[in-house]
Amino acid sequence: MSRRILVIGEPSAGGHLSGASLEAVGAALRLGGGAASVAGFAAGSTAAALAADFARVGVAEVYLTEEPRLDSAPLAGFVRAVATAIAESKPDVVLVGGTTFGRDFTGRCAALWNAAAATGVTEVTESDGGLRFRRPVFGGRATETREVEGGRAVLALRPHAFPLPAEAPVASKPHPIPLPELPPVLLAPHRAGVEAVTTGSGPALGDASIVVSGGRGLRAPEHFHLVEELAASLGAAVGASRAVTDAGWRPTSFQVGQTGRAVSPQLYVAVGISGAIQHIVGMISSRVIVAINSDASAPIFKVADYGLVGDLFQIVPALTSEVKRVRGIA
Amino acid sequence: MEIVVCVKPVPEAETRLRVATDGTALDPEAVKFVLTGYDESAVEQALLLKESVPGSKVHAISYGPAPRTEEVLRAAIALGCDQATWIDSGAAPATDPVDVARALAAAIRPVPHDLVLLGKQAGDDEEGVVAAALGELLEVPDFGFVVDLRWDAAGSRFKFRRASEAGLESWEAPTPLVVGLQQAWNDPRTAKLPAILKSRKAPIAKVTAAARSAEAARSRSVKFELPAPRTGAKLIEFKTPQEAAEKLVKVLREEAKVFP
Amino acid sequence: MPDFSLTPEQESLRDLARKFARTEMAPHAAEVDRTARFPEEIYRKAYDLGLMNLNVPTEYGGSGLGVFDQCLIVEELAYACGGMTTSIIANCLALEPIILGGTPEQKERFLKPFCAEYQFASFGLTEPSGGSDAGALHTRAQRDGDHYVLDGEKCFITNAPHATLYTVFATVDPSLRHKGITAFVVPRTAQGVIPGKDEDKMGHRASSTGTVRFEGVRVPVANRLGEEGAGFSLAMRTLDQTRTPIGALATGIAQAALDHAAAYSLKRQTFGKPIAQHQAIQMKLANMAQAIHAARLLTWHAAWKIDRGERGTLESSIAKCFASDSALDVANEAIQTFGGYGYMKDYPVEKLLRDAKLTQIYEGANEIQRSVIARELLRAYE
Repeated sequence: MSRRILVIGEPSAGGHLSGASLEAVGAALRLGGGAASVAGFAAGSTAAALAADFARVGVAEVYLTEEPRLDSAPLAGFVRAVATAIAESKPDVVLVGGTTFGRDFTGRCAALWNAAAATGVTEVTESDGGLRFRRPVFGGRATETREVEGGRAVLALRPHAFPLPAEAPVASKPHPIPLPELPPVLLAPHRAGVEAVTTGSGPALGDASIVVSGGRGLRAPEHFHLVEELAASLGAAVGASRAVTDAGWRPTSFQVGQTGRAVSPQLYVAVGISGAIQHIVGMISSRVIVAINSDASAPIFKVADYGLVGDLFQIVPALTSEVKRVRGIA
Repeated sequence: MEIVVCVKPVPEAETRLRVATDGTALDPEAVKFVLTGYDESAVEQALLLKESVPGSKVHAISYGPAPRTEEVLRAAIALGCDQATWIDSGAAPATDPVDVARALAAAIRPVPHDLVLLGKQAGDDEEGVVAAALGELLEVPDFGFVVDLRWDAAGSRFKFRRASEAGLESWEAPTPLVVGLQQAWNDPRTAKLPAILKSRKAPIAKVTAAARSAEAARSRSVKFELPAPRTGAKLIEFKTPQEAAEKLVKVLREEAKVFP
Repeated sequence: MPDFSLTPEQESLRDLARKFARTEMAPHAAEVDRTARFPEEIYRKAYDLGLMNLNVPTEYGGSGLGVFDQCLIVEELAYACGGMTTSIIANCLALEPIILGGTPEQKERFLKPFCAEYQFASFGLTEPSGGSDAGALHTRAQRDGDHYVLDGEKCFITNAPHATLYTVFATVDPSLRHKGITAFVVPRTAQGVIPGKDEDKMGHRASSTGTVRFEGVRVPVANRLGEEGAGFSLAMRTLDQTRTPIGALATGIAQAALDHAAAYSLKRQTFGKPIAQHQAIQMKLANMAQAIHAARLLTWHAAWKIDRGERGTLESSIAKCFASDSALDVANEAIQTFGGYGYMKDYPVEKLLRDAKLTQIYEGANEIQRSVIARELLRAYE
């Protein structure tokens, strides 16, 4: 059964379609069985640019609300515009990237559209005509498969769980959607500003495809640069265990774990981290885990895919040089 | 200020997960349900606001079955919430988060609510959908991933920051507002022993959840799986650090295929 | 019939103690043991949460718990650190004579202001010349008008160097033996109260233990608990209340030892398999588990009797004696399970042995407990 899918376009900082939105397109193309069943939605001052990005990966039909007020208005307004697009395009499924935007969008959109809702989705499949999706729960310690009853669903996808779509340019077919009249209460909040957060110089922890984290095994804050240099060579984000942030070596924005950030990169490298459960739940859903630790009995080796038991003070610099060598970085 | 804080009974973090016999859910046998991380942060935020805005009241509301739901409400009272409402789900609580939001919205609509606070997601299903859905159902603006929230009495508005991919967004908003709170920015208090004893005797209002909406779609769990136990790391043997580095890069490229 | 399924209220008390023990006490237990530091910041938090004056009725600012509920809390605390637990619960022992023997006016005057702030009280019974032979104590209390003058020395007094209040047992006439013993409440600020140095102990190093000397200390008659000569009975009734929680303390130490040993036995491999798969280790773990289960039930049973208003001397003596002997055995077997590592201070189990040892000695040495048990028991045959 072919399904109509509406993909919500979220702009990245540069005004282009975000990586998470492109992953949603990738998922939609697979699920819908081709570009014909997929439409996009874009809003705000960069809506036209987003429509062009949709067209570049084969999505011609894009519902557009070119309304600059939506750039900094609460999501409620955006969702009302999406509701109009839904009424016109009549999708079965709305897909959105699993960003903070996407996750907030999901609840509102599903409530308005009387649809099923889920976030953190890693797989969407057809099963006997029904729509099924999988998602990790309990901090990645279990997986749930759910089936949609009643057809409609809004799903936010887990970052990095779906492939980016191939380039397949088509001519864009924009459908302008006016911004509906909104209850004033929904537009009352206003954004006063945005400050960038220090998560190191590399990519942000939450959406990096490689994360290198340091723990207590580094012994002192002045050794943390070993982790940062390895991360830089890999183009990775830098994380830390709670021992490190509690000790004040790095701010809490670096913390990976139950009380910090949960990450699910393609590759997670744990340097000098023993693997307390509170840390493990924050990184267990990483695709490949590498542990470097001098204590062979450290629990981190139970969850890691590859382990190096030895002196991190020797291994990490050697690894940094080797990575630089194979990547051709001077 | 009238503050509603929604909490959810969630298995303790150390719970050993087991699959129920029908294979679609966590086996609740011997699981201890508690007030956890994100919800503790939400309660803490509610209490901080109550302490900073004279005349405020905090009303804890929870949806779920007996006896766990009543227990988390008692925990919220022990922490300092003034009032509690238990929405009795019956033995088979809704698992679609929008259904849960509908049940909460029905209980919140008739009570005063300048602010509705929630943890940004529950520690078990990790949906993070309820706060936003509540916002829509109550026709109130909502914000998830909020890291701190203050009441600016002079300007009669909340000032808060919200984590996003771009960094920390600063927002200002009047009442009413729905907020999903990020964990761990505040340091949730621990209930004191006398307050725990007192909370046992506190009244808890009970309402029965209405039948689920007939026109809404929803999802239901068809399978709950535990990952195959990780067998432990493949240890890479080496004699020198250089050898370790070379071997690791090789397996990451050729075997794991994660190396860029 | 006693019903030992815990009520939701009891579970929430136990959860509070468990959370405090695991997040506030356990992370510092090894450091404090090594340095023999008195971790005031932890004790202050315990006080703030209401974990310190557990037995004091709520109308005087305490937590108002019965012995059973105290046992639940003490076991959880001791799981993290026996020494800290001893210091945290020492107020219960020191204040119990006031709770049992004080007039309403005295309770109001002593307990209320004491419980309103973070502070320590000490129970002054034991003397250098002998601890368990309480009838033979030497500290004198001589009447002088509306005062008594106290002279003597107490030793092995928990928290003595930090206490602001002492309950002191002294004799008004040594020839009367235990019939001369009288109890007094003595503030630290009274002239002539001289706390001695902190003892350097084998275990319970987070706790503070020391001597207190009384040199011509003038104590108002209004600070006397009960009549002259009523002190011995008051001391015994006090110990009847506080002995059972020591059983719970020992059980907490033993449970920690078993948990460490069992977890280690699954991890440590010899002859190609985890040592948990060797029968020699399985027998040890099974014996440890039996001892702990029995100790806990004996403790709960004694506490249940006492909370019903019975004196429970026999049951509490059996519980304290059995639980403390078991704790030493279990800690010893835990070390054996760890092998050489167990003997190293980098591993947590040797501390448990040192901490367990004290539970056989304090609050009535186990030899005294056995005498008591024999005396109570033989009564039935006379």
